[in-house]
Amino acid sequence: MAKKEQASCSSTANLQPTLSQPHPSAASAAPASPQARFRYLATMVVYAVLILNKAGGLIYQRDFNPGLQKLSSNDYLILAGTFHGVHAITSQISPTNDSASSGLEVLESENFVMRCFQTLTGTKFLVFAEPRQPNLDVVVRRVYELYADYVMKNPFYQIEMPIRSEGFDRHLTSYIKPHQ
Amino acid sequence: MNRDPSPFRTASTASTATSPTPKYANLTASTNLRYSLTRKSIYDRHLNRTKTSELSKSAFAFLFGEMVQYAQKKVYGVQDLEKKLNLHGYAVGQRFLELLLWRDGRTAKRETRILGILQFISHQLYRAIFQKQADTLEKVRENDDEYMISDNDPVVNTYISVPKEMSQLNCGAFIAGIIEAVLDGHCFPAKVTAHTAPNEMWPGRTVFLIKFEPEVLEREALRVGS
Amino acid sequence: MSSTSRARLGEEVWKLRTDKINAELVTLTYGSVVAQLCKDLDGDYAEVNKQLDKMGYNIGLRLIEDFLAKSNMQQKCANFRDTADVVSKVGFKMFLNITPTIANWSSDSKQFSLLFDENPLADFVELPDDGKAQSELWYSNMLCGVIRGALEMVQMSVDAHFVSDVLRGNDTTEMRISLIRYIEDEMPQDDE
Repeated sequence: MAKKEQASCSSTANLQPTLSQPHPSAASAAPASPQARFRYLATMVVYAVLILNKAGGLIYQRDFNPGLQKLSSNDYLILAGTFHGVHAITSQISPTNDSASSGLEVLESENFVMRCFQTLTGTKFLVFAEPRQPNLDVVVRRVYELYADYVMKNPFYQIEMPIRSEGFDRHLTSYIKPHQ
Repeated sequence: MNRDPSPFRTASTASTATSPTPKYANLTASTNLRYSLTRKSIYDRHLNRTKTSELSKSAFAFLFGEMVQYAQKKVYGVQDLEKKLNLHGYAVGQRFLELLLWRDGRTAKRETRILGILQFISHQLYRAIFQKQADTLEKVRENDDEYMISDNDPVVNTYISVPKEMSQLNCGAFIAGIIEAVLDGHCFPAKVTAHTAPNEMWPGRTVFLIKFEPEVLEREALRVGS
Repeated sequence: MSSTSRARLGEEVWKLRTDKINAELVTLTYGSVVAQLCKDLDGDYAEVNKQLDKMGYNIGLRLIEDFLAKSNMQQKCANFRDTADVVSKVGFKMFLNITPTIANWSSDSKQFSLLFDENPLADFVELPDDGKAQSELWYSNMLCGVIRGALEMVQMSVDAHFVSDVLRGNDTTEMRISLIRYIEDEMPQDDE
């Protein structure tokens, strides 16, 4: 079952839990403080992360949970291509008059929830997680930052091509794994 | 005013740097350069103006990455690429050294011993450029002419993942070039190379291997003897 | 969004979300790149300009992602005037810690100038005294390519070039940016 929603702008502090805050003690009481955010992430189970290039090609796929059903690489390519198409349709056809629709952003099923974030350049980040996970938008934005750092700034990466970057793998793991 | 670190001036021609003011034009009689009336030329600004300035690390990473990509187009293999990066670093190191010594003013000290110059590099130079000290400074036990400076996380490599087929490459060759220039500038000619030496905590740990030319050791022996 | 809120965003990103590095390292490294090009291309400054622009373009294609990720901008600019604000007050601010002045808008709001009171890339620089560098070389030309590449990734085709530079003896450093068109078709770009 698909549901569409407006992109929600998170505050800067939400996105970078590691940033030092001016008043850490005062901030810890507020629900959106880095500490509170960390508690959220501490119980989070992320299944997988996928990245699609502008043309809908799958350029990155990574599982974080050993119990997952293994899909063949062909299945993944089909999944990526299909999602790309559905996303394009949902961003053009909308029940509201809002012309600038963000397209499909959340997909929920009994067994998982998927969060999609499309950047203004057309790259898509997909995060699959346990159902009813809150704050997946925060996770997906952080993955985007890691991508900007460890993929885009790596001179040996060719734009639009599959991502093979040891630094990106490492930082993605250390972001997602400790919270599982 | 011949300490300008302009990228187009090579160290050996320092003394021919031209003066901007008409007052001296007759003396040097060599400049045809035009200068802005808004007094923004290098001669109008204090050299310490940018001493503590900061830019984003991202800006450097993109510039450095593009430098690597450009260099990569014109080379035959990893060694050649490292050589190019070393030369870029060398140009940067020459200029940084002049800035550092100029800023030290009267307290600037000319290092005359191997240990002294290596400490200068791993402390003062490293702090000035990277805002931290190098992590270790060691002597290679088996070879008298070799020393090692290590950096757990070289700034130039933060975002770089070297592909498997180029596993020998370490873009820290750029920093090796900086070190080499500073050693040369102090009359301690040496070859400096960068090597990846990861440990549990620091996957990007890099060792700069410094191999001095024989004359450096000869001179050192004379000094120790006296 | 208003010009002031763009400025606030730029300040915030620079202060809270930007890892910093010694400015002189960047300045000297850029100098080394330009000097190397002048050597490789045998003093053909027109070619050097072209190569710098091309390198900048390659950077722009990548830098835009870092810009978007760190600035958390999720909506397209309202118009080209807004784009100018974002380029100067958020883009230049977060990467080079400067906010070039926006000036000289054309009447159709498709062209403007960026005036660089400060240019960290050109600190320490004096162009070669060879009788032609001052009339042919655009030392900071990489910046033009960066803007062209970055904006192209967010569906704007622009032209960017310098029209004056204090390094040439001009009183200002001015870059002219013109909107050619908005790109409808989102085709992937080649990494040159």
